[in-house]
Amino acid sequence: MRTSLRGARDAIFWTLCAGALLLVVAPALAIIGSLLQQAWPVLTLHLLTTTTAVDGLQNALLGTLVLCVGILVLAGPIGIAAGVYLAEFGPPARSSWLRLGSETLAGIPSIVVGYVAYLVLDEELHWGYSLLAGILALSAIVLPYIVKTTEVALRQVPTTLREGAAALGLPRHTTLRRVLLPPAIPGIASGLVVALAISVGETAPLLYTVGFSDNNPTPYLFQHPLGYLTYVVFLNATLPTRQEHQVAAAAGVMIVLILIVLIAAGRLIARRAARHAARMAN
Amino acid sequence: MIAGVNRFLVPRFPAVNERARTVEAVAAGVSAAGASALARTARAGTGVAVDGLRVRFGAREVVHGVTVGFHAHRVTALIGPTGCGKTTVLRALNRLHDGRPGVHISGSVRIGDEEVYDPRADVRDLRRRIGMLFQRPNPFPLSIRENIALAARIHGLWSRQDAAERTEAILREVGLWEAVRDRLGQAPFLLSGGQQQLLCLARALAVEPDVLLLDEPTSSLDPGTTARIEELISALRDKMTIIIVTHNLQQARRVADEVCLLLDGEVVEQAPADRFFQAPADERSRAYVDGRVG
Ligand SMILES: Nc1ncnc2c1ncn2[C@@H]1O[C@H](COP(=O)(O)OP(=O)(O)OP(=O)(O)O)[C@@H](O)[C@H]1O
Ligand SMILES: [Mg+2]
Repeated sequence: MRTSLRGARDAIFWTLCAGALLLVVAPALAIIGSLLQQAWPVLTLHLLTTTTAVDGLQNALLGTLVLCVGILVLAGPIGIAAGVYLAEFGPPARSSWLRLGSETLAGIPSIVVGYVAYLVLDEELHWGYSLLAGILALSAIVLPYIVKTTEVALRQVPTTLREGAAALGLPRHTTLRRVLLPPAIPGIASGLVVALAISVGETAPLLYTVGFSDNNPTPYLFQHPLGYLTYVVFLNATLPTRQEHQVAAAAGVMIVLILIVLIAAGRLIARRAARHAARMAN
Repeated sequence: MIAGVNRFLVPRFPAVNERARTVEAVAAGVSAAGASALARTARAGTGVAVDGLRVRFGAREVVHGVTVGFHAHRVTALIGPTGCGKTTVLRALNRLHDGRPGVHISGSVRIGDEEVYDPRADVRDLRRRIGMLFQRPNPFPLSIRENIALAARIHGLWSRQDAAERTEAILREVGLWEAVRDRLGQAPFLLSGGQQQLLCLARALAVEPDVLLLDEPTSSLDPGTTARIEELISALRDKMTIIIVTHNLQQARRVADEVCLLLDGEVVEQAPADRFFQAPADERSRAYVDGRVG
């Protein structure tokens, strides 16, 4: 009697768990499925060899990748440096102000960031539609994540390592570089992955700042618009022909593919971090 | 085992024998010539003098005016019940409280004839001269080789050319060479806890400290490694001033020349180990040794 009751309870519990899992997984699968179904007829190499001026996505894909590189080059070092400062060097009072600033920045909607960047950079400074303006706007959006993950990753390095280094009379920069950063690198890298994922998916701040171009990316930072994948999804969905809708879906597929690659990279890094942590705990 | 360590130490530190003899001569109460010889060599042997040390965490004073001398070439055991301030005193000696918010320190700490809390003091060089071994091993996330050589290279004591040779010498000195000789390039986290602690000791010795601070260095170790570290402490006394915090009175009896008992942030008694354990001057010392306190 009692065992069958418990069995029934277990069954209900597991059914609910499975249901919850389904609720999470189903929408993701549905989205990917319908994207693939929509995009299927145009998913050919043609997509990669022609630009949006014809019916491909070459310029948009390259533009998105250029933006990613820009984020890595600009927001990466600045965000990591700020996180290092907050975790290791900043006096508590100043650090808490910086932290407040960073968290406020994280809360500002991306469309507002984009609009302000447009007003200041494109208009006031006459940059026009500009790659640099887009990278700056995206940086403002992703910086708080890089700062936070860097700070957290460094704070998780055991204090005993800092003390051991101090007790040997090591300079602080050596301590940082040789003792504290190596175990923090996986955490920092996962912050960069999140920053890139956000950059790939954002549309609003780019609409204002880099505009859009049917041509492939140019080496110019100013006065030249740039194509990118999210714009194609945004625009083509409003266009009349079936073929244009299919290209929009194909752009969506590409975004999802990039995200999957990024998530996989993040997983790989996290697994390495876990292995490292296990060894540190001894 | 001790003999083995000594045999290794002596050729590399030719001054040691002479210094040790002088110390013995003076201890036996001999001539003025002997005393001046001690004064000459005393510069090489660096004692630590703590005077009126107070440490406050926020509003709470934890160390209330500690005055104690740690003599050169002696092992002094700092004992006392948990929370009495042993670690706090020890960390004040190499300024490890520096930069900690809310920590206030006053009083004087002298190493040799240098004031540790002199604002002009070179903190990094002070810390090089005052090595420290922590309660739990804390090897760096670097290779075993780099763990040992990093600080010695930074302080300019080792060159790139002789680093390998000197790493081997230090590892032999602590008795870790055979265990790690084939994996110098690997991370130290796969070593046993005891081996890691020996590695940390080797790392501290590589920068040639004058003073060695040990905070319950064997409390998390097996008896074998504990014995090994105690042997090393006894051997290292010839080279440096050693201060060991321990809860283990047997250990204090085994390794210490001097004992200093701390209760509630104050020194109760400092005395040669024999006397301290046989006939403590203070009633509270007797109570502590008998296990009636702490
Ligand atoms: N950073 C700190 N902030 C506030 N209080 C502290 C700090 N470090 C130590 N204390 C307090 O100071 C007192 C002395 O601590 P300390 O670690 O020196 O004791 P101990 O003699 O080493 O003890 P144990 O034998 O347990 O290691 C304790 O009451 C402790 O709570
Ligand atoms: Mg302690």
